[in-house]
Amino acid sequence: MPKDLHAFLDQLRQLGPEELATIDRPVRPADFDVTAILELLTRDQRFPTLLFCCTEDLHGQPSRFPIVTNLFATRARCARGLGLPPEQDKMELSLAYARLERSQLPAVTIPVGEAPAKQVVCAGADADLGMLPIVRHFEMDLGPVLTMATIMKDPDEGFYDVTFIKVFYKDLPRRGGLTIHSPHHLRIAKKYEQRGQPAPVVAMLGHHPAFSLGSLALSPWGTNDYDVIGSFLGEPVRLTASETWGADFLVPADAEILIEGLIPPGEKEICDPFGEVTRTYQPQGLKQALDVTAMSFRQDAILQDVFSGHEEHWYLGSIAKEGSMFNNLERQHGCIKAVHLPNSACGRLAAYVSMRKEREGIAKRVGMSALMESWQFNWAIVVDEDVDVFDEQEVLWAVYTNVDPSRDVDVLKNQYNIFHSAAADQKVIIDATRPLDYAFPAKINVPQTALDRIRLADYGL
Amino acid sequence: MERIFWVECRACHGRFYCDYSLRSAGLQLICPFCKDTFLPDEATWIDERTRQSGLGFRV
Repeated sequence: MPKDLHAFLDQLRQLGPEELATIDRPVRPADFDVTAILELLTRDQRFPTLLFCCTEDLHGQPSRFPIVTNLFATRARCARGLGLPPEQDKMELSLAYARLERSQLPAVTIPVGEAPAKQVVCAGADADLGMLPIVRHFEMDLGPVLTMATIMKDPDEGFYDVTFIKVFYKDLPRRGGLTIHSPHHLRIAKKYEQRGQPAPVVAMLGHHPAFSLGSLALSPWGTNDYDVIGSFLGEPVRLTASETWGADFLVPADAEILIEGLIPPGEKEICDPFGEVTRTYQPQGLKQALDVTAMSFRQDAILQDVFSGHEEHWYLGSIAKEGSMFNNLERQHGCIKAVHLPNSACGRLAAYVSMRKEREGIAKRVGMSALMESWQFNWAIVVDEDVDVFDEQEVLWAVYTNVDPSRDVDVLKNQYNIFHSAAADQKVIIDATRPLDYAFPAKINVPQTALDRIRLADYGL
Repeated sequence: MERIFWVECRACHGRFYCDYSLRSAGLQLICPFCKDTFLPDEATWIDERTRQSGLGFRV
């Protein structure tokens, strides 16, 4: 059986309600029911995948579509999604991601009649976004927003780019708005815009988690993302012809729901605010419009959503970057122990890097390289190899203990970050490694020989 | 950081913020709380203070 969302949910169901909790009580997603439940669970430090079986669409009617959310809310579950043991959820997971990112498995095309995602097709006036139980996430959000992957195709080179962008419901059946942050999506959309042509785009609401995680790989321009995602799935992505463009635009055959549409050249829509990954609202602005041309879905389709600005949103970005970042830094410097993008920085704004330090000055170079890995980073904190970058208390201990602010903190000005923060125009390197060029205190430790000798059970503990 | 400005909706008095490019674009803002539409100058309150120290904003 090809990998899909249903197969993964079946796997989670076997593991119990800590991994997949099914909710039969009716919910109104556009009235914050879903995100209120998620927020309360998060405050209780509980992170199950939630499957809401009884939902309401945007017309206030019972919807045929359940909602699944919080699927990526633990690193262990992300590890499972990539076929790894759940205990390998730290650097092992990130490195596995980086290995998968470097491989490709060519996609295959299957007939439309065999594609689960084409079991129900709504075209023209029947393609009504309002039939979906779209989640409104946060108080100041402009409205309900779809938060999953989108697909575009380069008009010149013909490769497919898959990433995550937001689709706003605009209170009209077939009209939406798009807020595109992805550089490759923006580049493709701009090509169409410059030619005065509408740009095809497809929103995909649900697939196996390996598909979603793979779609966030930092592939170079020109890479066919379907082939990279095949590497993550461990099997070729099955594609089929779209309703709108036929074989000229192939779509994932095992998706849950597909929304096909065109970005009309020169037309914009007011979009945002929306509660973003960085836990602040993106400001209202003028963004790309979307004209929906068709929708298709499985008979038993589930609408997948991401709880923005929370754990699953952070892990979707951080796991995708840590491994490739480790590989790039290690290639350059040969002394890297681990890399982590912490949740305290929303998995986007800061990088913690540990390294074997043999001389002064290298940590700053590592910090500069780290900042070059993503335009989203504003902070790079470099620590010694004995500091666990996945343990924030240890990282901050190193900062408060080792950093001489007058020489160990550097600020690069006139930078850019699309996410709003007071440091958005600046990049900061903090060298929190222990200084080697002057006499400096040592970190306390109990001798390893004693730790090896003692067994707590022998002392009734 | 892109410059923003806050407005208060003339209908429901909810407050939200916008990219500064909308300040003088002649486009109607949409209140996320009540969906009323209005021009920035029609808002019952506006905060468009800019950062006084540091680097300022990109506009």
